[in-house]
Amino acid sequence: MNITLEEIENRSTLYALTSRLMMTEVDEEFLKSIESNADILALFPNYKEWEKRKEFSNKILKERYLDVDFTNLSLLHLVPYETFYTRDDQMIESGGDNPVLSIYDAFDFKVKLEEARVVSPDHIGVELEFMYMLCDTMKKAYEANDEDAIREFLMVQRGFLKDHLLNWAPMYLINMKRESRTALYHDGAELTLEFMLSDYEYVNEKLEEMK
Amino acid sequence: MVKKMNSNESSFFESRRTFLKGTSYAVAGAVVAKGVFSTVIDTPAMADELKAVPVPNGTPMYYPTPKWDPKQYTWKNFVDSYNFNPSENIWNSFHELDGADWKRGGIGRNGIESEENPDGIKLNEYMLVPTACSNCEASCGLTAWVEIGEFKKTNDPKDLYVRKYMGNPMHPGSRGRNCAKGYATQSQMYDPDRIPFPLKKAPGSKRGEGKWIRCTWDDAMKDIGSKLAELVKSDDEVSKNMFIYQVGRPNENGFGPRVPMSMGLDGWDSHTNICSAGAREGTIQWTNDDRNSPDWTNAKLIFLQSSHAADAGHYFQQAAGRIAEARKKGAKLVVMDPRLSNSAGIADLWVPCYPGTETALYLYLANRILNEKDINGNDLVNHNFVKNWVNWDRLMANKEYLKLLVEKGYIKSVPAGDSYEDFIKMISEMYQPYTLDFVVEECKIEARTVEKLYDMFIDAGARVATYIWRAGPIGHRGGWMIARSAFLPFVLRGAMAGDKGGVGLHHWHVISVNGKGEAATESGEHPEKVDAWNELAWPPEYPLSTYEMSHILPHMLLDDEWREKWNKKGLNVPEKLAVYCPRMYNPVWINPDGFRWIEALKREDKIELPFNLSPTWSETNWYCEYILPVGLAGERHDQHSEATQPSRWLSFRQPALRVALEKLGWKPKHPARGTLEAHMASGLGEIWEEVEFWANLMTDYVDPDGSLGVRKYWASKKDPSRAVSIAEWYQAAFDNLPNLRETAKKKYPNSEFPNYELMRDMGTWLEEDNIYRPQERALKKEGDKYIAHGHEYPVDEVEKDEFGTLLVEHEGEKHAIGIEVDGEILQGFHTLSKKLEFFSEWFAEWKWPEYAVPIYPRNKEERKKMIHLVTQVHHDYMEKENEFAVNTIFRLPYNIHTRSVNSKHLMEISQNHNPVWINTDDAKRLNIKQGDAIKVTYVDTLTNIESGYFIAMAVPTEATMPGVLANSHHAGRWKLKNAVDIPGFSHQLGVMGLGAPLYDMTMDGKVGTLKPKEGLDKAMLARRDTWQFKKYNKDLDNIWWDGLSGAWQNAVMATHSDPIAGNHGWHQKAIIEKAGPDDTIGDIYVNYENNFKVFQAWRDKLTRPLQAGDKLRRPMHMPRTGPKISKKGYTVNITE
Repeated sequence: MNITLEEIENRSTLYALTSRLMMTEVDEEFLKSIESNADILALFPNYKEWEKRKEFSNKILKERYLDVDFTNLSLLHLVPYETFYTRDDQMIESGGDNPVLSIYDAFDFKVKLEEARVVSPDHIGVELEFMYMLCDTMKKAYEANDEDAIREFLMVQRGFLKDHLLNWAPMYLINMKRESRTALYHDGAELTLEFMLSDYEYVNEKLEEMK
Repeated sequence: MVKKMNSNESSFFESRRTFLKGTSYAVAGAVVAKGVFSTVIDTPAMADELKAVPVPNGTPMYYPTPKWDPKQYTWKNFVDSYNFNPSENIWNSFHELDGADWKRGGIGRNGIESEENPDGIKLNEYMLVPTACSNCEASCGLTAWVEIGEFKKTNDPKDLYVRKYMGNPMHPGSRGRNCAKGYATQSQMYDPDRIPFPLKKAPGSKRGEGKWIRCTWDDAMKDIGSKLAELVKSDDEVSKNMFIYQVGRPNENGFGPRVPMSMGLDGWDSHTNICSAGAREGTIQWTNDDRNSPDWTNAKLIFLQSSHAADAGHYFQQAAGRIAEARKKGAKLVVMDPRLSNSAGIADLWVPCYPGTETALYLYLANRILNEKDINGNDLVNHNFVKNWVNWDRLMANKEYLKLLVEKGYIKSVPAGDSYEDFIKMISEMYQPYTLDFVVEECKIEARTVEKLYDMFIDAGARVATYIWRAGPIGHRGGWMIARSAFLPFVLRGAMAGDKGGVGLHHWHVISVNGKGEAATESGEHPEKVDAWNELAWPPEYPLSTYEMSHILPHMLLDDEWREKWNKKGLNVPEKLAVYCPRMYNPVWINPDGFRWIEALKREDKIELPFNLSPTWSETNWYCEYILPVGLAGERHDQHSEATQPSRWLSFRQPALRVALEKLGWKPKHPARGTLEAHMASGLGEIWEEVEFWANLMTDYVDPDGSLGVRKYWASKKDPSRAVSIAEWYQAAFDNLPNLRETAKKKYPNSEFPNYELMRDMGTWLEEDNIYRPQERALKKEGDKYIAHGHEYPVDEVEKDEFGTLLVEHEGEKHAIGIEVDGEILQGFHTLSKKLEFFSEWFAEWKWPEYAVPIYPRNKEERKKMIHLVTQVHHDYMEKENEFAVNTIFRLPYNIHTRSVNSKHLMEISQNHNPVWINTDDAKRLNIKQGDAIKVTYVDTLTNIESGYFIAMAVPTEATMPGVLANSHHAGRWKLKNAVDIPGFSHQLGVMGLGAPLYDMTMDGKVGTLKPKEGLDKAMLARRDTWQFKKYNKDLDNIWWDGLSGAWQNAVMATHSDPIAGNHGWHQKAIIEKAGPDDTIGDIYVNYENNFKVFQAWRDKLTRPLQAGDKLRRPMHMPRTGPKISKKGYTVNITE
């Protein structure tokens, strides 16, 4: 098994990071977690150099720029929900027919929509957090040295990426990148997209090795 | 920076795969993840398939997930497929799992609750009673989900309650959808501070002291009835004008005016003059209808002046859905608004135009349409429409008027010819001065924005939809001319033809039968026209107002000099009101200069008996003799219809608990008091409704023996010993609608009241769909008679004038009934000429000739001469760097003026303290920072008199244009006591405990102040164990907000009565500075003595009052709300 704990933890962190960024407005703590780690900050190259970041406190950045951009990108101008991209009528399926619900159910996961402040469970932030949950749970299998379980998890991850996230999120993220007016969300969109694509290759590679 | 970032180059392409290797992020995922997943591993494993589980009582109507099937329940299929079977109506018994189902993992895991399975999921049994929302004017359909399961077991009406309000999928307007205000009906219904029974001001106390005793509806009716009877009995003219029934948003179609009319009184005030009078005035001049009605769905361009239609105002929930549909099909959205509203934020083009100068922009569009060609070199004017349907012929024939246009400098010379081509040439010249440069300067707008707007307007052809309503037309002096001019480019492009995707008219799309139940009454007739004229509603200075001058009612009552002046001239202005009744209205709080209202209400010699028919506590209630609690959306009957689309639909508002009880076999003791009895029986309180209240008041207390001639209009035909019942009234009222009548007969063949029962079960009706270009319909002719507006006119009595208009004579006045166009006799528009009136002849005759065509001053000198068209907040008046125009009239989507104050759900989402928006550049210049308290002083620009100030929180933002502040006047509620004690009643009655903080008030006849004293938490915590509706208010210890929703700025404002339309111009000139150390946000200081001087100046310096020689009070063709008035009432004789 050519998988390291560090890889699993890094995947877990990146899914958590991107899901958090997409889910709700940033807060001080989150911004600090980006800034306190040089490797993470390097994932946001424009943000790192952003003049406004040097000029204003995080509080002001958030209130005047970041939250405004977030609102624009996730509420006003763009629609970060899978069913919006996959249904012919472009309606968000907020009821029991949402395609990701059965998958979450299968793992006994329930989305607390009110906490996520989203209208349906196929929001990009929720789907990314689901990937984080899968990675995080996979870590337990790794610690228990349960190769079968790891393979199982990798297959689920591959399936979810292929059938869901990669099936629509790139369209949203490309738009998000273009529409963004702050370095954080611009970089965040690019990071999420590139990470997902590379992670899909990674998962396939690992499964190939485990055959 | 953004451009640089938005290159398509990726920062990561080179470094793909470096995400995982050689790096350790050292931040655990759990630290950053939001954590929105929870597991349900503590519940049993999920059943393989979720299937319908047999319900204990065997009812087949059970769904694991209740879901509306839009195909099954769309209106069309509903009727066409006869899916609607009254005897098996699933709405009468609808099973749904309790909300806890989802939390506990579903019935698949737990099964259904029963004796054998006590841990199962509870199954609720509902009756869905259709009704209509009453929280704005849109009348969206609702269904009240009445829990009937318990009642079926106990037969105790107190076990019946409304669990929730949802949409009504059959409603053609709202199509099952509602906004936050609709769903909040439930929290209004079970408001812990709901007024539980009628209250009477405690004997010996003064108005405003807040001392109340409990009384019965009959106690109140006895007092009110005898006072009204005195007025009816009296022979003198002035008594006919000593009653005023003042209606807030009526939310019903035609019942209210019947009240004064049946008593022969001219006692009616609408709230229109603080709401939409400017738009109505401008629209009436074009169309003689006071509202337009767009076809959003089929438009190519949605043109909004303000955020109104799409995010907060008129019909917004219904309009927004249709606007979204149009945009999905490719329509563009333009929002003209000095503020970046939610609508403007998602628009294709935001046009921030300096408030009050919109007229210039519209005339600029007209200029280009008239003077430019399209890319193929063709005219942009839709000649086919304009030539046939605009009254250019009358203008060109009126040489005297054309000379006036020359005299005023609008055109250089009187055209030699009078052809259509001459007309187009003339107006092309008239609008030439409205150039791009002029607009950029006048409207303070960027040239590129204006040009883009023009391109988008032209690209859409005749498919441009708009709704000109509030915003500009109600904000300003001359606001009516904004509406008047707005329609000009639409007319020129043919978008006013009432065709697909364009703009139609209100009366084409609305149903008004709520006051037409006379066939069920003893008289069988509608009350006669009233021979009176009430100057307190229609003062002689404002003969063309739209409509009653209600915002200055207290000013007029307290202006002795004014009254004496007119009485000397032969009028009969009352010196007091005997009875004053606001209905679902809070005039003290919502009108400008609120301290003047309080002064008037405190004067028992001026307003002898004020009582409020009010579902909630309000600032006005505090100063009344009686507070009579009436029902909310699910507690009253109204027929309500609005022009939200090119069709005619209606809503039927109903008391849900009463309907449910009656369907389950309960009967009221008194057949005409069913709503009151049902509400008392079910524990809601002594909550009544207007329809039953007025009928009972008239039959039992105003005219019990019928000697006054009032009773017959309200007594039941079936049983004249009592008032008409609801079923009787609505059976008769709905009988006026042929399609409804026919369907009802078919569906309820054995019923005594089929119309009523059909509407009781459906709550809504679509009488006619797809109404386009009705003006082109042939005038009905049967034999040798024309039929128009329900009357027959023998052909030989119909005269055709030189312009092709068909005229008949009625009460000595000429009326137009049709128009000949291209040899065909058509119905035409609703105007005197039967065409759209570019030239308003009657308006010119009624003393305002220079404004009888769309026009706007072109320079500073003209602005002084044409002051009636110039906003009181024009930039000419802003001289210092801290002087601003304040945009006050944007609506907040979660609030309504009066009724939402104590809705827990709406209050929780509306706590933003209503800040003052200030442009970032302005804020920087004045060193104002976010959150700073600022003092906003209002100054009248006609008199330079200061009104006073309020203290508010500043929010610098680029979302308001430079020089313009924004602060909504829909916030700032207050109360003077947290709760009142009622002698003999064991509980305190809380006063607006969830929605208004406690204030200290001072007022001395000249100056009034308010200062916030205490938030909500203390008083609410003390009452959290509420005595009423505890079941729905277990969370009262969770009130985190302080209730301070901004300052009561309405009170600070002086009245700005437009000299023509009569509306209050809401926008204000403000001087701002940082607040002092003793100032707190929410404070107000008002010199209302000064405000009185401003009121008088606007009236006396700007109006053109009736004078000797005038024969009529007002043009008889012009709409007038309230009671219908006879020719005698209209007639006036002013003596000098």
